[in-house]
Amino acid sequence: QDCEVTFRSSDTHPDGYPTVEAVKHMGELLQERSDGRICVEVFHSAQLGEEKDTIEQTQLGVIDMNRVSLGPFNNIIEETKVFSLPYIFRSTEHMHQVVDGEIGQEILDEFQNHDLVGLAYYDSGSRSFYNSQKPIESIDDLEGMKFRVMQSDVFVDMVDALGGNATPMPYGEVYSSIQTGVIDGAENNWPSFESSGHYEVAPYYTLDQHLIVPEVLVMSKQSWDQLSAEDQEMVRQAAQDSVPVMRELWAEREAASEQIIEDAGVQIVREIDKTPFIEAMDPVYETHVTSDALRELVDRIRAVE
Amino acid sequence: MELWVLFGTFAVLLLIGTPVAFCLGVSSFATIAYIGLPPVVVFQRLNSGISVFALMAIPFFIYAGELMVRGDIARRLVALAGAAVGHLRGGLGQVNITASVLFGGISGSAAADASAIGGLMIPQMEERGYGRDYAVNITVVSSIIALMLPPSHNLIIYSISAGGRISIADLFTAGILPGLILAISLMVVAWFVARHRGYETERFPGGRAVVGLLISATPGLILVAIIFGGVRSGVFTASESSCIAVVYAILVTILVYRSLPWSEFVAATLGAVRTASMVLLVIGSAAAFGWLLAYLRVPAELVEAMKGVSENPIIILLMLNLVLLLLGTFMDMSPLIVITTPIFLPVATAYGVDPVHFGIILILNLGIGLCTPPVGAVLFVGCAVGRLSVGTAIRTIWPFYGAAVATLMLVTYVPALSLWLPGLFR
Amino acid sequence: MTAFIAWQVWGRFVLNDTPTWTETSSVLLMGFFILLGAAVGIREGNHLSFDVLLYLLGPKAKSVLHSVSDLVVIAFACGMIYYGTVLAANAWDTTIPNLGISGAVSFFALVTGGVLMTLFSVERLLRRVVGLHTARFGEQGMDGD
Ligand code: NA
Ligand code: NA
Repeated sequence: QDCEVTFRSSDTHPDGYPTVEAVKHMGELLQERSDGRICVEVFHSAQLGEEKDTIEQTQLGVIDMNRVSLGPFNNIIEETKVFSLPYIFRSTEHMHQVVDGEIGQEILDEFQNHDLVGLAYYDSGSRSFYNSQKPIESIDDLEGMKFRVMQSDVFVDMVDALGGNATPMPYGEVYSSIQTGVIDGAENNWPSFESSGHYEVAPYYTLDQHLIVPEVLVMSKQSWDQLSAEDQEMVRQAAQDSVPVMRELWAEREAASEQIIEDAGVQIVREIDKTPFIEAMDPVYETHVTSDALRELVDRIRAVE
Repeated sequence: MELWVLFGTFAVLLLIGTPVAFCLGVSSFATIAYIGLPPVVVFQRLNSGISVFALMAIPFFIYAGELMVRGDIARRLVALAGAAVGHLRGGLGQVNITASVLFGGISGSAAADASAIGGLMIPQMEERGYGRDYAVNITVVSSIIALMLPPSHNLIIYSISAGGRISIADLFTAGILPGLILAISLMVVAWFVARHRGYETERFPGGRAVVGLLISATPGLILVAIIFGGVRSGVFTASESSCIAVVYAILVTILVYRSLPWSEFVAATLGAVRTASMVLLVIGSAAAFGWLLAYLRVPAELVEAMKGVSENPIIILLMLNLVLLLLGTFMDMSPLIVITTPIFLPVATAYGVDPVHFGIILILNLGIGLCTPPVGAVLFVGCAVGRLSVGTAIRTIWPFYGAAVATLMLVTYVPALSLWLPGLFR
Repeated sequence: MTAFIAWQVWGRFVLNDTPTWTETSSVLLMGFFILLGAAVGIREGNHLSFDVLLYLLGPKAKSVLHSVSDLVVIAFACGMIYYGTVLAANAWDTTIPNLGISGAVSFFALVTGGVLMTLFSVERLLRRVVGLHTARFGEQGMDGD
């Protein structure tokens, strides 16, 4: 290759996944617009490590770019916690409005203080509950059901607040645990619900969309500082231009998974009154929204139309 | 050039006898410094390499194995095997192999198998007129079976080296058929060699005796069920079931068999701590090494290079097997798994090989390496236990190597042998 | 023996019902166990190594190469101390999820292990200088798999 600089970009998802393809697309834009000077190479499938580690590597300037979920930043940049609160976004459109607007930009700017440059927000879909027992039509149906959650206090508190039993366990154990009745279900987005095969053992899916967490594309501050002002602008613009592509790829992927799941005969509850779910979150917000700054941010997000 | 620094430093340090974990760490450090990256990455990778929950199963399974060897569990399994298959031609040879199958169900260590079963069987076999070389050969090669049957901590090491995305339950299940096929092919060879040498058979002790020994060995067999059933059903994770195996082994050997004096218990504990921390440190430094390999695009370029040689998966698999066999004769199993998995697994998957299937090929292949000179820990253990020189042992071991390599080829080219059983559980 | 106690405690951790903090804390403990156990392994000389070339050499050359190996170990152990401290300093104001303690703690094992490895390797060098025996992997039965 004739590129003067090649940015190494990390992603934990496999090749062909929407985020991986979107960063590749950004690389093509950059290469084209810089007359082949700047290229991007995506190291997919967690080749360079899990997210927590690659974030450190990006901060150190060992790798140049990184597509990561917001979870690992919760302990580094407090404001990012707000995006991971249950039912904070009413819908994917609401989330897009927020991250595309001034709140989104404010939080991207925060990354500057941590040796990183926030370039753009990507999607990771919306997570909803699935189970092997019955269609969940109201909050009462969740009473006493055992759900696998990730190792996170917010998730555990959320399921408990909804009346269920939170059971943290590794992702790889979920399938057989549902099959043998160790747990009743779990929660995830369409593509993961499909690719994990969990829909084969958990034929009830309720679109409560409790989490709609955006992801971020960040750059190392060190790599950023080595670019001229024009090149910086070019990189930022290419990243922004990859967002619509990403959203389109994500929508396609979601639709494909949805089709497979529907064809398999999974009973899907699409319309559900979310108000009782949101109201049940009061204790969770009380525990996890700990400062006035965060409370203000929550109010501002809710005010976005 | 970066690759020369990486592999050059590694090779030089390895040859002068530096511990493998430090060969990996220092060569990664040298290469990162050469590229001009912050060396702190090496230590970050080392730290995250050992901070993996699934790793915890490894010391526990090693510990459980130690306890069973020192307690009475292994001896009772051998007695059961003796009653069940001693009347076949090559009697005690068949017993030795069958004992490895039973033992393999509770331990994942070939070295433990060779020392435990070899220690019990080789003297008996010699007394009954079998050649000492025959006894040692069978002890050594049949101990590979322990690597294939669950619990196999080496399969856990493989799963972790592959990024922790391969189901341990699937790997455990996948190893069963290949392990049994290996046992059968070794029994066939043992039968032919025994006929050629004119060895006797043992008297069949009668069904009642077999049942008696079966009952006496039951606690050991229950352990097989706990470990496999627990992991397979998802009731326990591999880490949890390994811990339960330890507690169970302690309870059985101390309370039921009353066969584990305090000094032996301490010895088992210290032995396990030694082996485990050594293996786990290698895994940690290999995380740094593997990171560099990915960063330098070694797997990607290897895939390209191999595509230049052939597009045919049959030939690629043959090449991978030959390289692994060669490496396996020089190095030990766990470091090889952690070093070669990040390089070869992407190659294999690029040719459509299932990661679970590749794991079984890898373990069986490197298991054969444990039985071959110049570096073959299991061969050394077998020879030490049988007080036989390595040179004498390998003069007559060829038929058994042949059976193992034939099984390897069968497992390599018939994916269903590895994938059919796990498929049933999905 | 310390390792043994760690083992027991850790076993209890795993066997407990699994609240969110057990996994994290067992992994932390395991880090200490591995690095301290490995340091003791240096002292006892039972780390996996590859002695084929050394079989061909005389005792003098062997002893020189063993000393070089010990120096390599010391160099790496010093790296563990220095960079472990750097990583701990970076992680000082982060918190470990589900545990509420500083992220720096997870790097302490690296530093402690490095200190012990350096000490034990220096001990090996000194023993060799005064002509005492230093154990090597492979001498007293094999522990490999
Ligand atoms: Na086994
Ligand atoms: Na055997």
